[in-house]
Formats: sequence, C-alpha cells, structure tokens
Amino acid sequence: MNEIVNVEGVTRSFPLNHDRTRNLVSALNHASFRVQAGEFLAISGPSGSGKTTLLNLIGCIDQPTSGRVLIDGVDTSKLSAAALTKLRRKKIGFVFQTFNLIPVFTAAENVEFPLLIQGVASRERRVRVTQALTEVGLGARANHRPDLLSGGERQRVAVARAIVHRPALVLADEPTANLDTHNATQLIDLMHGLNRRLGLTFLFSTHDARLLEHTERIIHLCDGTIQSDSHSDTLSATSFAATNSQGGSHGQVLAASLS
Amino acid sequence: MGKFLLLAFRNVFRNRRRTIMTLLMVGGGVTGLLLSGGFFAFMIDGLREHTIQEGLGHLQIFTAEHFRRDEVRVLDTGIDNWRQVAATIQTGPHVRGVAPRIEFYGMVSNGTKSSIFMGSAVDPAAESSLGFTPRLSSGSDLSPKPAGEVEALIGSGLAKSMNVKVGDGLTILAVTSDGALNGVDVQVAGIVKTGYDEMDARYLRVTLASAQRLLQSDRVTNLVVGLDSTANTDAAAAALTPRLQGLPQQMVLKKWIDLATYYLQVRNMFFGIFLFLGVIVFFMVLMASVNTLLMAMFERTREIGTMLAMGTPRFWIVTLFMLEATLTGCLGAIAGVLGGNLLGAIINASGLHMPPPPGLTVPIDFHVLHIPVLMVASSFIVIFSLALASIFPAIRASRLQIAEALAHV
Repeated sequence: MNEIVNVEGVTRSFPLNHDRTRNLVSALNHASFRVQAGEFLAISGPSGSGKTTLLNLIGCIDQPTSGRVLIDGVDTSKLSAAALTKLRRKKIGFVFQTFNLIPVFTAAENVEFPLLIQGVASRERRVRVTQALTEVGLGARANHRPDLLSGGERQRVAVARAIVHRPALVLADEPTANLDTHNATQLIDLMHGLNRRLGLTFLFSTHDARLLEHTERIIHLCDGTIQSDSHSDTLSATSFAATNSQGGSHGQVLAASLS
Repeated sequence: MGKFLLLAFRNVFRNRRRTIMTLLMVGGGVTGLLLSGGFFAFMIDGLREHTIQEGLGHLQIFTAEHFRRDEVRVLDTGIDNWRQVAATIQTGPHVRGVAPRIEFYGMVSNGTKSSIFMGSAVDPAAESSLGFTPRLSSGSDLSPKPAGEVEALIGSGLAKSMNVKVGDGLTILAVTSDGALNGVDVQVAGIVKTGYDEMDARYLRVTLASAQRLLQSDRVTNLVVGLDSTANTDAAAAALTPRLQGLPQQMVLKKWIDLATYYLQVRNMFFGIFLFLGVIVFFMVLMASVNTLLMAMFERTREIGTMLAMGTPRFWIVTLFMLEATLTGCLGAIAGVLGGNLLGAIINASGLHMPPPPGLTVPIDFHVLHIPVLMVASSFIVIFSLALASIFPAIRASRLQIAEALAHV
C-alpha cells in the first residue's frame, strides 16, 4: 500500500505571550505515525489535546518546531511556500468545523473553487462539480447559497469541495462539532462511504466518542502526546467484549477505553 | 477569470450598508469634481468668449514695428494702408469681418474738471457687424452715420467723476501724430460698463473718424478680425498669415490667446484650484477606503484562510481585493457621473447667479458645463485612489498565517 502521510517525531511549540525566545508551550510532543492510502483514520482526544495542531501540520498550513511531515513521500519541511501551496492545492482536501464556505457563492460554485484554482477547464469543472454534489446527495441544492442550507447540508457541500479534485488526502478538523448527532453520524457515514467507493484517504479529528465506532483506526491524543494508535481489529475485540459484558454501545466503550 | 470576477462583484455587495456608504463617498467625490470643474469650465469659456466679444476679436493684425519698439508719437507704429490690409483679410476663410481700431489716450474735460482717459476709436458699423457691442448702462451706441463723429461713449466711473450724463458735452484733448495738442468736442451718447471698475473709471470710446481728426492721422493701431467660431482660430490664422506677406508694411498676426493675458491668468488659477480639489478628493477617498477595506479584510479573515489552505495562490488574494476595490471605484464613479450630471442639470435649470467676483461689476450665472473629459478624469481619480487604497489591505490579507486565520473568530 502507498504511504500518504508519514509523521516523524513531530513537535510543535508556541511562544507564550508573544515571547519568541522563552516560555514555550508545547502543543504536540514527538508525534510519529504513518497513514496508508485509502485509510479512514480518526484522531481523537479532548479539547486542547493537539488534534487541530496535528492536522494543521499534516495539512501543510503550519510548520513543526522539530521533526518532519512527509506527504506522499515528499518532505514538506524542505518545500518553499509556493511549493507547499501547490501541494495543498493538488493533494489535500480540507473540511472545517465551521464549514467555511464562501457565503457569496452557491453550493456548486463553492465546490467548483478548488478546480478553479487548479485551472481546470470550465466544461470539465461543471461535470466534476455535478458529480461531487451528487456523491454527497446534494445534486438538487447546487444553486443554493450556504445561508439557505442546513448545517448538515453545508458540511456535505464542504465535503464535496474537499473531494472534487480527487486529492490524495482529505483532512477534516472536527467536521461534526457543529452538527446534531443524526447529521454527525450521517456525515461520518458519508465520508466513510466515499473512502470505500473512491479509495480516498480520510483523516479527521473529533472528540465525539460516538463517532469513533465507524472508524477503522483511531489515534488518541492527550496533552499533545499520542496515547494510543488502535486499528479496527483491536477496537472490534475490545468493543465486542465490552458490549457483551456491560451492554453499552460501541462508542461508549471506545470512549471508556481511550480516556 | 469570469468566476473570480463574479466573486469580486458579489463581495462588493456583501455588506450593503458599508458598500452604499463607500459608493456615496466615492460618488460624492466625483459629483463634487464634476460640479466644480463644470462651473470652472463655464466661467473659463464665458471669460474667453466675453474677452473676444468685448472687442479683442479672434485675431488682431499689427505692424511688426508695433512690437519692436514703443511709440514715440501716437500712431507712430500704426498701419498706413489699413483699408487695403482689411480688404485682403476680409475674403479669408472663416472671417466674418474686420474692424479697424485706434488705441489712444489723453485728457477729457467738462469745462470745470479734467480727467485722464484711455480711448478706443472704432468703426461702429464694423464693430456692430462683428457683434462687438458695448454694454450700455444708459444711452445708445455710437451712430455709424456721419452724426456719430461728434459722439462718445464713456465708462460709468468716468461719467460719475466728470458728473456728466447722456446728452452732455465734453472736450477731449490729445497729442497729435505731429506732437501738437489738439481737441474735439463730443456729446455723450451713452454710458458703458466694461465689467471692470478700473476700466470704467478711464474708458472713452469715439468713432474712428473723430479720433483720426483729433490725432491728425489716417493710420489705425490695429485691425481686429472676427471669425465664425473661436474653434477656427488656428485654421484662420494659418490661412491668413501668407496673405499678409506681400503688403508694403510688414504685418504680424496675433491670435486672441496671445493677447488675453488676464484670461490666461484666470484659467491657470482655476486649473490650480481644480487640481487642488482633485488632490483633496483623491486623499479623501484613499484614506476612507483603506479603513473600509481593512474592515472587510478582518471580517473575512477565516474565509481568506480557507482559500489559502485550499491552495489559492497569494497573489490571487491580492488581485481579488484590488478587483473588489476597483469595481467599487467603477460603481462609485458611475454613481458620481450620474449624480453630477443630474445636479448640474438642476442647477442650470434653476437660473442661479453668483455674486460678482473681485474686479467685476456684473453677477455671474451659476451654470455647470457637462464635460466628458472631466467625467473620465474624475472617474479615473477615484478608481485609481480606490485601487491604490486596496494594496495595503490586499497584501495584508495575502500574508495571513493560515492556521491563525482559520482560528480567527
């Protein structure tokens, strides 16, 4: 399998009170893991555990203090700002907690934007936008502006925008945080479906334990340190045992085992 | 690019209240420039035609000697065979007529009081045919008939000083071309207002025949040429200059612009004022727009961060902001041009007058000319100032730290 992400001993520290020499606070400590193409991976952990920092580093929108991040075999620490921009444009799709859609664009225009900045011809853009919106079940809402869409629909538009250019990696930072449980589950199912159907690699962060039962691999972060990196086999065994003995749900058991 | 332009256009109307305020400011600047510039242009055009119609004419012909030296005696450098010269010019293109003039000076007396005058001798028929009619406050113009030879028009200030009215007699005294003192009796036919207080206090106008009798000379100082239109001045001058070459006396042809010193000074002054207003509007729009665009940038920080995260090149962000500012400038300019023309039309229809400026005695019409060049120039000023104002916020937006921008609340 092709390795999409390789995080090697990554540390990210931030200065306190804008003091750049002393009083550093560490958001991520020596994090290391690899992600293979086609994986559906969750980064879990409580607020302030370093999930967003880790995703920012993998998404090449921040630079590690030490260590390195390789995307599709390319060491991002050696790339210029322009090359990083190009890498993000070509290989990464983003889904944000607050949707971050362009409010003056329709759903279709929002989805079209990544193709626009890649210079894709307009005819092809139209075909791919329709396809992406259909894949997220919003073909009929293509011409609606974000303010006329529900929260769940907005996030599905954001997912369509993230996958429309078929990136090697889709990063979703707390994509369900602003959604109710029903919509949150639907969104995770949607992302999982896209992962299976299209072979896209998904890496998302969440602190909602209920969503983790849909996930094949979970990296648990706490205070900037990776506490565990569990694959579905381990999770399944743990969850089945827990479900049988306690009668709780898969997510609750996961939460208990990870906390 | 079309989509990008669409994004910029929609962003312009994103915060409608702020956009309307910006458009009012930009449009107001353009309107102000159009109204002030249109009024200045009306004043300058009016002054030009007034200067020409008050007797300067479109062209004047002198002997070359006139400009080489000062006259030792009156009409010393005048035109000898002026009728021949006038006949040569009369048939030229665009020429409406030719009027001979004598410029002289002397003393005027009512028997008890004397005063200095600056005299102008004219052929009333020729002047009338060119539309050079004096502005009379009372009485009538000089008669083109032989009876006119004993008539005079005097300035209102001089009439007041000499305590005379229409119908009263005066004696004018001047030094002849031979150096002797001569005098003729004239009757005040009318009292004129030239529009300039200093001129009204010294002005005296008689017929050419009276002046020639007084000065004992058949010469004239110059010939004034009236054209069908001021716009044809250059063409007529080019056509007439060769005709003056073969005459016994060497002649010089001067255009009105070469002789209208006061007009040029006023025009330069108005141009300076307009330039100053333009600079004020430019900086007003620039400063206010920088503030507005910075506010827009802060409001859209997370959106810009999202665009940058998705791999949008930073120069696209700069272009987007500059495009939005330029579009705002274009819309403001359109609003300003429409507003300026509408207000101008209302002002023109209202028949308002401005008080007389210093040195003039008559009120000025408050009229605004609609000048396409001015509309383009004013629009360019505001569009350019907005584009310039957007550079700083645009660069600032493009340099946002993506992670920080995405966390912006």
